[in-house]
Amino acid sequence: MADIEIEIDGNVVNAKAGEMLITVTDREGISVPRFCYHKKLSIAASCRMCLVDVEGAPKPQPACSTPIADGMKIHTQNEKAKASQKAVMEFLLINHPLDCPICDQGGECELQDVAMDYGSDVSRFTEGKRIVADSDIGALIQTDMTRCIHCTRCVRFGAEVAGIMEMGGTGRGEDLKIEPFLEEGIQSELSGNMIDVCPVGALTSKPFRYELRSWQMNAVSNIARHDLVGSNIYTQTYKGKVKRIVAKDNDSVNETWISDRDRFSYEGLAHENRLLAPQIKVEGTWKEVEWDVALDFATRGLANNVFNARQADKLGALASNTATLEEFHLLQKILREVGSENIDHRLNVKDLNNAISLESNIKLAGLEGVDHALVIGSNLRLEQPMINHRLRKANLSGTSIDVINAMAFDFNYQLNSENIISPNQIAATLAGVLKSVLQSAHAQIPAYLDDVEVTDVAVQLATQLSDSDNSVIILGEHVVNNPQALSIANLISQIAQNTNSTTLNVSASANSTAANLAGFVPGKGGLDANAMLAADLKAYILLDIYPQYDFHNSIQATETLSNDDTFVISLNSFKDDVVAGYSDVLLPIASFYETSGSHVNVEGLVQSFAAAVNAPSDAKPAWKVLKVLADLLELPGFHYADSTQVTSEVMHQSHKQHVHDESIDVKAKRGVNVIWQKSPYAVDVLSRHAASLQATKIGQINSASMNKATAKKLEVTQDGEYLGVPVVVSEAVANNCVFVNANHSTGGQS
Amino acid sequence: MISNKAKKQIDTWVAKYPEGRQSSAVMEALKIVQAENDNSLTSDTIQAVADYLDMPGIAAAEVATFYENYNHKPVGKHTIRICHNISCMLNGADDLIAHLENKLGVKTGEVTPDGLVNVKKVECLGACVGAPMFQIGDQYYENLTADKIDEIVDGLK
Repeated sequence: MADIEIEIDGNVVNAKAGEMLITVTDREGISVPRFCYHKKLSIAASCRMCLVDVEGAPKPQPACSTPIADGMKIHTQNEKAKASQKAVMEFLLINHPLDCPICDQGGECELQDVAMDYGSDVSRFTEGKRIVADSDIGALIQTDMTRCIHCTRCVRFGAEVAGIMEMGGTGRGEDLKIEPFLEEGIQSELSGNMIDVCPVGALTSKPFRYELRSWQMNAVSNIARHDLVGSNIYTQTYKGKVKRIVAKDNDSVNETWISDRDRFSYEGLAHENRLLAPQIKVEGTWKEVEWDVALDFATRGLANNVFNARQADKLGALASNTATLEEFHLLQKILREVGSENIDHRLNVKDLNNAISLESNIKLAGLEGVDHALVIGSNLRLEQPMINHRLRKANLSGTSIDVINAMAFDFNYQLNSENIISPNQIAATLAGVLKSVLQSAHAQIPAYLDDVEVTDVAVQLATQLSDSDNSVIILGEHVVNNPQALSIANLISQIAQNTNSTTLNVSASANSTAANLAGFVPGKGGLDANAMLAADLKAYILLDIYPQYDFHNSIQATETLSNDDTFVISLNSFKDDVVAGYSDVLLPIASFYETSGSHVNVEGLVQSFAAAVNAPSDAKPAWKVLKVLADLLELPGFHYADSTQVTSEVMHQSHKQHVHDESIDVKAKRGVNVIWQKSPYAVDVLSRHAASLQATKIGQINSASMNKATAKKLEVTQDGEYLGVPVVVSEAVANNCVFVNANHSTGGQS
Repeated sequence: MISNKAKKQIDTWVAKYPEGRQSSAVMEALKIVQAENDNSLTSDTIQAVADYLDMPGIAAAEVATFYENYNHKPVGKHTIRICHNISCMLNGADDLIAHLENKLGVKTGEVTPDGLVNVKKVECLGACVGAPMFQIGDQYYENLTADKIDEIVDGLK
């Protein structure tokens, strides 16, 4: 588009032909009032608030839908513009209840702000105002639809961004109502963004209702750590408590949106289940003590069980994926200083010799530019909502998307092909894809592909990848415990190399990229998580671990940790009976938003954040606890004044990467495969304690899905349970596969 | 929920639009489904139409609630659509509505106990020249008086 010159309020402004006028005024910092216009949504031009005077046009024009042309002269402040804006404002206020004193939006309301500038002091309207009955649309969003000004931002958000049109305008004229059609309420995993886009108090945060005024809170920039994106947020705090979370713009990370998990998980911070005081176990009884007593007890325990006998290799450290980069670093540094390489964060992997290793070499924003994507083993929409959103945007502009999954999931975009394949067949299928790619490129076919059958599906998937200039292969969490996980990852690498595709590894979530960056994996001679729990270690340091959720085999893990002669130091943010059962010292640590630190997202972007609030009661940030523990152990090099010094230390050291096992096994396996997933709102301890999230439809997902044939084989029925999870018999699941989404702690898995 | 006969009828409308634009047939589809469900729609029938045309339920509901011709409550065998817009109003439509309500013993929007008739107030039907007027089925009745109304209503079966 050509550069043109236009004149706004007498000033010459450069712009591109065809841009909407409001884009130009926003860029130039010229204020034009608006309600229905939102930069990330389509243009409705329904509120008419942005009317401006365009010279030559007989009537004022809406800035949001007026494309500019060379030489256009625009007045945003002259009498005609002002008079139109005032008139529109008067109409908008006719049916608005003006109940600002009891409205949660008061103080951060676009209508209030604009009314201050353009409204009249006195209303000429003496007739009755309309009243709209509210409907309950779920646990997250509070409605007061009498306040609605029909801007349709929430409607457009649902249809265009969330991908599920849930809100709509029913009736017409004075009877027009914005409401959802289904009584079950709003289902989207991004629904909370409707609160942010609503310019009035019609849609507000339900958990935050009547809590505070916006001006009473401090907003602290922060990073959400629930997934691989690290969405930018503002934590809004009052008197040392996080009261609400709203999205912060960052176009290269989360644009303007955040997932409901990121928005509402903060509720867990105030849960009564928080661990608040250090405790030590003396002769089987828990005793609350001061920090110095607890830490002294911990160091003596380590000395007695490990150091005095010169058995540093009998000490192990395990951490949850939600820890910060700094916490991972300090804990591995302690272990390595005392001479142990038993360090791991990969707690949910059945066979770590078969663990996935696949690099991610595409940026989040780059996902929008791909022309083809192959997603393998992921329910992307619920597991990585913001990554799914990027892919959906790409799809809307023409990107074709193929999926290989063990179960048919509800994607919010059109798939090119959805291949429901038994987990045992995935490696064989991908081997077929690789063979087909190599065949059509007339390349040499390696021996391990000799016996591989190239199916029609494989040819189709291969052709899509080969024919695209810019394709991406996304590997998801469901493959982690596939008997051929390593082979699958290696095959993907090979396919990507031969088709010039990029890869995105979303197989481990939360802050797992930081764990790898900090070297939180066993070094030479060290034991991995499973080996540690099988070996007879004498002491463990565990960072925010909840065995029934986090370990692949929680029964075995709990048994090992419960050994009488094993000394367990647990740093936890929440109380847990199982943890209390096996631990000897419980150290209360800060949860999300209570500690400073860094999140590393899937593209390797390190985003640091400060603590928004102090941890409750006696709980301390884990990095400080680990630093003091190191000091008490008289280890050198732990003199940090704040966490940013730890951050820069991590960034300046490099850990040797594992020697990568490149073996590929393409033989289809037999037997039933269990894909065990924590349900989307149960992925970490904070989300599990967030009451409103748990009350949503997604929060209630708790099922072991399998098809009829598998159910018969496993001798379970529709009303029964499988491994403690209710069975759902559905033909959406591939044969020989059980897909578990568990939101409760269960007895463990096979 | 939608009979095969109705599906066939809807399909002829779908065929009139380009591939992938089947939702354009929503107005006709709603009309067809309404006709075979005692002349009124429920959220279930609206959802069924939306599912058949592969569109969100709320999008079909927006259409169904926008137009007067879709009913969302049970209606009588005959719907008297009486105009109360300006020309008819000036010529005494309000009195005629009161007369109708009195005669039938029901308010506008309600159905007579025998399920025969309901009265619906509507906006201008474009017959101002014969105001006041109402419409029953496809038939316009103009220059109405109380007596004329009695005669017409008594003749309904």
